[in-house]
Amino acid sequence: MDLLAQILANGILLGGLYAVMAQGLALVWGVLNIVNLAHGAFIMLGAYASWYLYTNLGVDPFLGLPLTAAAMFALGYALQRGLLNLVVRSPMFNTLLITFGLEVVLTYLAQWVFSADFRTINPPYAGNSYSLGPVTLPVARLAAFGVALALTLGMWLFLLHSRLGRAIRATAQNLVAARLYGVEPRHLYAVTFGLGLALAGAAGGLYGTVSQINPYIGATLTAKCFAIAIIGGLDNPLGVMVGGLFLGIVESLTTLYVGPTFADVASFGTLVLVLLLRPSGLLGKAA
Amino acid sequence: MSRRLLHALPALAFVLYAGTSAAADAPEVVLGASIQLTGPVANTGRYYRDAYQIAVDKINAAGGVKIGGVPHKLALKIYDNQSDVNLSVRQYTQLITQDKANLLLGPFASNFALADSAVSEKYKVPMVEGGGASDQIFSRKFKYIFGTLAPASNYFGTTVQMLKALKPAPASVALLYADDAFDVSVADGTRPLLKSAGLPIAMDERYSTNATDFNSLLSQIKSKNVDAVLVAGHETEILNFVRQAKSLAVAPKMYSFTVGVPSEDFRKALGSDADYAFGMTAWLPSAALKDRWFGDAQQFAQAYKAKYGYDPDYHAASGVADVEALVHAMETAGTTAPQKVRDALAKTRFDSLYGPIAFNAHGQIDLPQVVIQVQGDKLAEVYGAKGFITQPKYPMPAWNAR
Repeated sequence: MDLLAQILANGILLGGLYAVMAQGLALVWGVLNIVNLAHGAFIMLGAYASWYLYTNLGVDPFLGLPLTAAAMFALGYALQRGLLNLVVRSPMFNTLLITFGLEVVLTYLAQWVFSADFRTINPPYAGNSYSLGPVTLPVARLAAFGVALALTLGMWLFLLHSRLGRAIRATAQNLVAARLYGVEPRHLYAVTFGLGLALAGAAGGLYGTVSQINPYIGATLTAKCFAIAIIGGLDNPLGVMVGGLFLGIVESLTTLYVGPTFADVASFGTLVLVLLLRPSGLLGKAA
Repeated sequence: MSRRLLHALPALAFVLYAGTSAAADAPEVVLGASIQLTGPVANTGRYYRDAYQIAVDKINAAGGVKIGGVPHKLALKIYDNQSDVNLSVRQYTQLITQDKANLLLGPFASNFALADSAVSEKYKVPMVEGGGASDQIFSRKFKYIFGTLAPASNYFGTTVQMLKALKPAPASVALLYADDAFDVSVADGTRPLLKSAGLPIAMDERYSTNATDFNSLLSQIKSKNVDAVLVAGHETEILNFVRQAKSLAVAPKMYSFTVGVPSEDFRKALGSDADYAFGMTAWLPSAALKDRWFGDAQQFAQAYKAKYGYDPDYHAASGVADVEALVHAMETAGTTAPQKVRDALAKTRFDSLYGPIAFNAHGQIDLPQVVIQVQGDKLAEVYGAKGFITQPKYPMPAWNAR
């Protein structure tokens, strides 16, 4: 019983991290209709940024998150205006190609600049934990979970209530109508992509504190984020949160009861099931 | 830094020729290899490029290889296989059929050597590889593959002997391994060793290669109160394993890892959390290991560090031994004809900075492993063929008591 409680706690904390990683991918996908295959690579960049801030300038990884996010926002805004905007109206295949190309370029740039050495963001408290009865809760994961919750809630409120957020949702739902109401899509798309990358950057910082960073972590992360976004649904940050938690728990339980090699089978099996049974995601509106 | 940058231009640099200014007229012997210079395994793959290069440079500087009385220069032809097995098979085929490489050096990692050795077998060109230890590579009665890494099945051999000698001896063992050629061989070899040592196996779990989350496995280790944990995996996984063990406050009496512990960048990434981790190595830079070109292993380690800026581990030494084995065989055979060199390799027997080089009937070397442990900022030799060398730090203290 104690073991089950611990495994569930592990799953929930892992799920929170998953959710924040997938949040940016889902936003960009939902609004711009771009499946950003470079999303994992941007998480990797964010992780390196946080690592650099911590190792060379002594900035705590959690305090450094806004800095990383701001830098990634700027990068995202520029990339969308300068590059992705060229293909935003073209068939999805083109956007897939261009983001795939970005992922390759970013990966090799990272190896060039940072080498293939492993890095970890290892502040003194990274290994600490709280005990809650029989359950051990790692501090870094708990903090990452808190940040994930806060970001999700923030995103949700922003999309629901702010002027810009409404414009973003309007554009996602009906571009023509949004334009008629004076929404300028070029700026809005760039802001959305910037937000997506800012979220990826923040996720990267969190990932670096609980895991390890090398130039090649991107591709697997993209795949995982893709699954979470599908499971959770694209039109609501809360859905992504649910998707992340669901996947984290499924993977942890699979590891316990079936075997560690089956964790990926379970997560992508879940993806297929969701696509069959609830194609618009767990929290998505019925199609 | 700029040298590093230069080395990392892999996207462009398909071919890295040896910078040997081939002394005008001396005929060349081309050694071909396909190595992971980029991609997820580049971290260890690059050791082989560096090792082959330093060996070739050193041998050329000493006058090259005397084949039938004529000095030949060595040339390296290296392709980057981007950590892709299929690409490496194509590149080895290209090295033989188009680039006319005389002889082959191996890639890193067992799953690569397993696939690539089929190419060397097909074209009957010997390959000496120092990067694949899986017994599978050598169980197919191939005649053209030779390996200088100690057999995977016995990686934990010395460790299991040490477990029996520890006081108090561990009451239970967990065996965790990744699902690839090397790690499965390690697990298959370790199971009977544990059984005959009378150590009960409390957990025997295979996990997916590149797994990042070990929280569930660690929670089981804690809940079953396992004393000794043996992990066969890759450095990325082991790094995550140790960090997550700390964050979940899981501290068995000891844990040991097939890779990572001997490598400098692994210990650097973990910092003080690397403390107490056990590992094994078949090679340490000892002055007792004499070498024809480098003097001895200690001098080799100094020269290597001076050239590349990081300490060589057994992968690098094994890579140098590969080049030396080919050179030795060419000199004995008096020719570069692949079949003749192959026959000479089968009978090769010489001392090197890596240890005595000789291959069994299947082409694999046999070297004993020494158990090592991170003790503070030192890497200590703990247990060898003759028992304890230094006292191990055992049992490992709880994380909050360090």
